[in-house]
Amino acid sequence: MECKLIRPADLDQALAAREEYTDDGLPIAGGQSLLVMMRNRLVSPGALIDLEPVEALRGIEVQSTGISIGAMNTCRQLIASPVLREEVGVLPAAARQVSSTAVRNLGTIGGNVCHNEPGADLPPVLLALNGQAVLRRRTHGREVPLDAFFTGYFETALEPDEILCRIDIEHPPANAAGVYLKHAISPEDLAIVGIAVVVVPDAQRPGAVAEARIGIGGAAPVPLRATRTEAALKGAVLDEKTARAAGEMASTEVDPGSDPHASAGYRRRMVTVFVRRALMQAAGRIEENGHGAA
Amino acid sequence: MALLDLKVNGQEVRVEAPDTALLLDVLRERLFLTGAKRGCETSHCGCCTVRVDGMAVHGCVVLAARCQGKAITTVEGCGDGMELDRLQRLFLEHGAVQCGYCGPGMLMAAKALLERNPQPTLDEVKKGLDGNLCRCTGYTPIFDAILAYSRGE
Ligand SMILES: Cc1cc2nc3c(=O)[nH]c(=O)nc-3n(C[C@H](O)[C@H](O)[C@H](O)COP(=O)(O)OP(=O)(O)OC[C@H]3O[C@@H](n4cnc5c(N)ncnc54)[C@H](O)[C@@H]3O)c2cc1C
Repeated sequence: MECKLIRPADLDQALAAREEYTDDGLPIAGGQSLLVMMRNRLVSPGALIDLEPVEALRGIEVQSTGISIGAMNTCRQLIASPVLREEVGVLPAAARQVSSTAVRNLGTIGGNVCHNEPGADLPPVLLALNGQAVLRRRTHGREVPLDAFFTGYFETALEPDEILCRIDIEHPPANAAGVYLKHAISPEDLAIVGIAVVVVPDAQRPGAVAEARIGIGGAAPVPLRATRTEAALKGAVLDEKTARAAGEMASTEVDPGSDPHASAGYRRRMVTVFVRRALMQAAGRIEENGHGAA
Repeated sequence: MALLDLKVNGQEVRVEAPDTALLLDVLRERLFLTGAKRGCETSHCGCCTVRVDGMAVHGCVVLAARCQGKAITTVEGCGDGMELDRLQRLFLEHGAVQCGYCGPGMLMAAKALLERNPQPTLDEVKKGLDGNLCRCTGYTPIFDAILAYSRGE
């Protein structure tokens, strides 16, 4: 059966199409994953709803509470965004590590998050930035914190009549340090583990952590926050010993699987190593500048 | 089926193709521009790399319908059809082509890079070609050809 292509003029039309084709329609963003899934007959939609023409899904807006990133921003656009580079450099830095130039040219932040492929680079960073998914269906909208949005292996909280419109992130405190480390055999591969940390130093106590957020990709069916480790880091002085202990603890919070790229045991071990390294890099950045420039 | 108005290598063409036809299929099967090669068809190998509005993309994961109103450039758009252009000539001189299957994609990725960054470092060249696999040359002659281009050779 031939697949139809629907090109809505605006968000209302896209949402109407989403409602009409709830059973067998899929939105297409960059197409970098979806068209591969179709080629491999993993999905066979009867209609594709093209999100490219939808203006409401574009742009990067700075608001008083945070930054609102339209779902159709490509990795290329994230990398080039002066606002993101200035305020949350860790996000464009992670976007730079997504796959290859051609995939970054078209693949979008919304598609990356909705596809929820284990080892994708943006979810751990967006988790560490306290990201929220802004979802719309024809009749109303809702916001879902990303840690509740990623529900399972290639699964999200997105309902079949919804469109992810934007990802909202908080302004990190001005003195925070953000680091993303990707461990992969070849840099274009999905991460074996991808570790994002945002460390907010305690302005009163040099070396101490006011808040640490740790996003982990590739080491469980879903990207997740290492919440117990984060709690343990609160108030601690971030030195090599603390970072090592945090790495060990984080490795007990994940639930990795084995695949041809890496065994579960190796992934767990790499969580230990890369959480420690990411924390030490953040600490180094804070020590150098008195702040981290997330 | 849909009627698509495309601009390929500067020429306006109208083709009939399924709604969700891939750019690679339209180029090869409808327009008989077989420079862009069919490889993995899953965006890994890059031998189908073409340029859309200057950007390097993998033709196997791009909807042709989306390219309407944009400028599509394939390897057939290099040189004038008789004479090779300077980058093609340097690929030849440096032995950047062995079996040749990756060549058209390499050239298109390299052109996108050089337009964005006319004086790339070796690392930037590698990053610019990170979507393109070559299984013959070991890449070095390809990088050399591109660096020679940027030196004005
Ligand atoms: C060879 C290859 C290597 C890759 N390597 C990496 C890597 O190293 N790191 C990495 O992070 N990613 C990697 N990816 C994935 C790449 O980043 C994808 O392009 C991206 O995850 C999907 O983005 P897209 O815009 O292309 O989405 P699409 O392919 O268009 O869509 C993906 C899915 O999300 C849904 N969707 C998209 N946007 C929305 C929306 N706004 N609302 C509702 N649903 C939506 C679609 O219906 C579809 O189910 C790789 C992909 C390939 C092909």
